[in-house]
Amino acid sequence: MKKKQRENAIVFSDPEKCLGCHSCELSCAVAHSGSDLHTAALQGLTLRSRTSVVAAAGVTMPVQCRQCEDAPCAFACPTGSIRQEDGMVVIREKSCVGCKVCVMVCPFGAISVKPEADTAPEGRTNRGVARKCDLCAHTGRELPACMEGCPTKAISLIDLDELRRSLVEARVAELAQSHRYLTQRKVKP
Amino acid sequence: MTMNHCNDPCAATLIPQARKEGITTVWDRHKAMQPQCGFGQLGVCCRICWKGPCRIDPFGDGPQQGVCGATADTIVARNVIRMMASGAAAHSEHGRHVALALLGIAEGKLPDYTIRDEGKLRSIAAKLGLDSTREDILAVARDVALTTLGDFQNQDHDTPCAWIASTLTGKRLEKLAALHVLPHNIDAVVTGIMARTNVGCDADPVNLILGGVKGALADFDGMCLATEISDVLFGSPSPVVTAANLGVLKEDAVNIAVHGHNPLLSDVVCDVALLMGDEARRAGAKGGINIVGVCCTGNEVMVRHGIPLAANYLSQELALITGAVDAMVVDVQCIMPSISEIGACFHTEIITTMDDTKIPGATHVNFREATAAENARQIVTLAIEAYKRRNPQRVIIPDVKQTAMVGFGTEAVVGALATLNAEDPLKPLVDNIANGNIRGIALFAGCNNPKVEQDSSFVTIARKLARNNVLLLATGCGAGAFAKHGMMTQEATLEHAGDSLKAVLTAIGTSAGVGGPLPLVLHMGSCVDNSRAVEVAVALANKLGVDLDSLPLVASAPEAMSEKAVAIGTWSVALGIPTHLGTMPQVTGSPVVTKLVTETAKELLDGYFIVELDPDRAADRLLDVIDERRKALGI
Repeated sequence: MKKKQRENAIVFSDPEKCLGCHSCELSCAVAHSGSDLHTAALQGLTLRSRTSVVAAAGVTMPVQCRQCEDAPCAFACPTGSIRQEDGMVVIREKSCVGCKVCVMVCPFGAISVKPEADTAPEGRTNRGVARKCDLCAHTGRELPACMEGCPTKAISLIDLDELRRSLVEARVAELAQSHRYLTQRKVKP
Repeated sequence: MTMNHCNDPCAATLIPQARKEGITTVWDRHKAMQPQCGFGQLGVCCRICWKGPCRIDPFGDGPQQGVCGATADTIVARNVIRMMASGAAAHSEHGRHVALALLGIAEGKLPDYTIRDEGKLRSIAAKLGLDSTREDILAVARDVALTTLGDFQNQDHDTPCAWIASTLTGKRLEKLAALHVLPHNIDAVVTGIMARTNVGCDADPVNLILGGVKGALADFDGMCLATEISDVLFGSPSPVVTAANLGVLKEDAVNIAVHGHNPLLSDVVCDVALLMGDEARRAGAKGGINIVGVCCTGNEVMVRHGIPLAANYLSQELALITGAVDAMVVDVQCIMPSISEIGACFHTEIITTMDDTKIPGATHVNFREATAAENARQIVTLAIEAYKRRNPQRVIIPDVKQTAMVGFGTEAVVGALATLNAEDPLKPLVDNIANGNIRGIALFAGCNNPKVEQDSSFVTIARKLARNNVLLLATGCGAGAFAKHGMMTQEATLEHAGDSLKAVLTAIGTSAGVGGPLPLVLHMGSCVDNSRAVEVAVALANKLGVDLDSLPLVASAPEAMSEKAVAIGTWSVALGIPTHLGTMPQVTGSPVVTKLVTETAKELLDGYFIVELDPDRAADRLLDVIDERRKALGI
């Protein structure tokens, strides 16, 4: 049987609702730390958010990986570390050498290649590997942390099939009205 | 989730009722507020100028300084000491109000008030170094009032406030003076905190926190004077048996809930209500007028007059959801603005009384001490009118109340001990601490906070400490929690106290004539009355010839919430008392400030904060501290 094709889910941010509070960044950083907010702060852990709040053209919104279907980063990666897997674009950190080609080709500036922990460069490596939004896949939560952490509910996780279905159903509901009218008037194409 | 956050048995009936009626409560609003801002939780959000708001990224590449250059350490320190200033302002404003009333009485301007405890007034005069023997008691009152008001007026930075200087041990005063944290003038110190935290001023986190400590000690001064002068005006607490929780509301009476903190109004309402019972009966209320307390106004009238306590902070809304409260009369502090909306869902008249505490939707009765009785009559009349509109079908009074033996002010505690040894009342207490029958003393204080299951941490920690023979004192909403949960009864002592503590409480109680042991937890009064516990501790320390930090004494605020609690906790630390917090203080964004208040404070002030969110572990840590102090004393 042929496998059903689905688009990758995406994190969608509504600039009309975003207040620019950076709470999503904090939630993202903590979610990927394996620690909690107060402990991480007290221990002075270096944590990096995989989403960043950006203000431009009069709006503010968080920007993160769009999980592109035809992802330039995956094509550009010389070590083959970036792949389409489990409904998202996945970076295999083990084989990443931190060459930053993915950073250069990503149109959304969603990838960073900085070390996660406070590791001093030891001469041979900076310990940087490419990281980006992983939809909180391995953090043990149902919804992305940024979405849970947003006080104005500006962030949502979009399943494209569901989105399309709801759009189509809404339009059909409107068209149904028109069809009833056409039937009444016995209008035929 | 909502149910899990309230350990009060009344909630099981009333929260579903609120849901049914479409009324939201503090727990619903707390849930809707989740998740709460991480920057705010860490204390790293600065809003003190309009270049901001600025937030410091606690983790990574984000900003490490505000627009002005302030670091997380500076921002956290500024934020937290502003909380101390506000706490000090709140308590001290209450104190000033009471002191001005004493002056008014002395000058014959306030016919509705009298001096009810002349002995206390004279002992205060003696303590403050005034002539306590003058025949004219009003002259003594005037001296005490003016000296007290001097604590708001003194401009000599080297002369400390009169109340704190006459209250603490000599060693403690020396230590605090050496750190330049002894307040000379409450108003000036609060103003000083606002000034030094203004944009572009103090940026040194240690200097800032020391400024905050001074503010917290000004808070202590304000609390001392507020408590003691209130005793003069309304009587010092003595043991009285009453009841607590919403079952104290009466179906057949006009129920008036007095809520807030300041006894100047509530005490007169109690007096006037006694005279207006017939009017209530004429309106159909067979039971006359039933005054009940909420929060610390509730504690004030509870420990002085045995008025039953209906609710502590988090249950104030539940009182209204019973549909049986005809008027809720509020003065200042800890009054949820939501009560006017909930009151409007019923027939309940919400009455604000103070110029600086109004709530949209409430009825305002402009309370003035000069016309106190008349204002109280207006209030009681409004309540009787509201009673006529009460819908009996909507009344749900949970059949939940506990007996509470309360009213253990300093004089009452010493008085009870004096029945064992009239010449040296403290000796039995000292002996029992020394021989280990009493392992230590713990003071429970502070608020309710919906981040914690209501009242549960108080109960958990207290049971464990009592089992380990720790003598328990309580004030404020902590005391309310214990009263509601039946821990201020003789039965609780028999059930929960360790054997040696049980024996001591039984010996004192029997000798003092309460017909059995003292209750497991001694109710010392409202949150402003925390100074009473210090008074007892100072007496003990002086008797032993040591400073407060040597005593096996700890404090705990398992549900701290208010800025007043931030101030109280801080002065407790400054007096050398290890102080537990069961909620996370908003300082963890600064390693410097966190270390300062939890570790370095021990070197500077002997006291320090113990942050432990798990109540069981908190009890263990408090026991460890008590043992450490016993060891240092060689007992």
